[in-house]
Amino acid sequence: MDHRRYMSLLKLDEAELRARMSACELGPEDLERLQRLRPFAEKHTAEVVNAFYELLLSHPQMRKFFPDEATVRRVKRTQSDYFLGLFEGRVDLAYVEDRLRVGAMHERIGLAPKWYLAAYRKYLDLLHTLLYAEYPPAEARAFFGSIKKIVFFDMAIAIDTYIAANLETIQRHQVALRELSTPVIRVHDRVLLLPLVGAIDSVRAHQIMDTVLVRVVEEKAKCIILDIAGVAVVDTKVADNLVKTTASVRLLGAQTILTGISAQVARTIVQLGVDISIMHTRSRLQEGIELALEMVGKTIAPKNGASEGARP
Amino acid sequence: MTGVIPILRMGDVLLTTVHVELRDAIAEAFQTDVLSAIEKSRATGLIIDISGLDMVDSYVARILAETGRMARLMGTEAVLCGMRPEVSATLVRMGFPMGTVQTALDLDEGLALLRSKNGLTRIE
Repeated sequence: MDHRRYMSLLKLDEAELRARMSACELGPEDLERLQRLRPFAEKHTAEVVNAFYELLLSHPQMRKFFPDEATVRRVKRTQSDYFLGLFEGRVDLAYVEDRLRVGAMHERIGLAPKWYLAAYRKYLDLLHTLLYAEYPPAEARAFFGSIKKIVFFDMAIAIDTYIAANLETIQRHQVALRELSTPVIRVHDRVLLLPLVGAIDSVRAHQIMDTVLVRVVEEKAKCIILDIAGVAVVDTKVADNLVKTTASVRLLGAQTILTGISAQVARTIVQLGVDISIMHTRSRLQEGIELALEMVGKTIAPKNGASEGARP
Repeated sequence: MTGVIPILRMGDVLLTTVHVELRDAIAEAFQTDVLSAIEKSRATGLIIDISGLDMVDSYVARILAETGRMARLMGTEAVLCGMRPEVSATLVRMGFPMGTVQTALDLDEGLALLRSKNGLTRIE
């Protein structure tokens, strides 16, 4: 997915950027310090990046992301740019977009946040050692403080990108699932069937009702059979939704037949005290179809010569 | 306001198509018109076609259901036909299932229902 999508998903505008910066206490003096560290960073880029990949490549789980030498060379170059980016002394929307791109790319190749965080710890460790070796302790501490701020700022963005990407995937699946969950079938002229399977939550109930009503009008249906044999749990809510759907279908001038009612479900409905008297009910789908055909003035009859006993 | 919604006679059936929002004076005039048409024509059936309405609020729904009940008191079977899916969904979700008024998918169905009289769409 485009990293620009993530920008809008995370609602990253100027205000959000400022909020994130102040949450990490990342201020102008930090940016100025980071900029001053630029020559130091340039000097040690190769060293840091190499040590960093040594850690990553020592893990079998990680190595599959870097199958060959060419890939390693390429990601090392990207990593160098990324590393030097920390010392630009500039944090604006363009910077965030750049960071988002990295996060989005990691998400796409399936690199889990645990590796990302482990890699960052390595970064901090390496820089800590190098800074204290090069600067007097007080100065090194100040520099390291600023680095920590921008690193945590980056990490927050990367983690949010992972979460946003996962949420997107879940939402996409939900939409697909909803479309698959109300297959209204035309059984015969003006007779529809909706086999319901699985759990019915309020969103799905809403969807069922809308689909049923539209299809009834489209097909000029006289009746629609709702088969609930595959519905795991029929509770007050589900029953109430079925009654509501029936009432709406009736307003259109059609009727509902409820079938697939097991003994357990019948007991539950009665014990819950749900009034489903406005629906026609039959225990099995076969009986429901027979009733529906009767409503449209048809019957299922044995062929000439065939014995009645042939029917189960 | 009478005559805003025309009422046609086809044999012993009265046919009316509601195409404007039934607001206050219009609603009242509509009921009066329908009832006096029933009185004059001695029709046995009344069809109210609402396929032109893409929004029916609880007030309009009440007027329509009431008109149906009034007609039945006068010995005329009333059928509401052509309700749109989104209208029916909204009415039921608002908790206004319109009582016992008879309904049909469209005009054809409405006429067939009146003809058969004990049609299956009637739900007590």
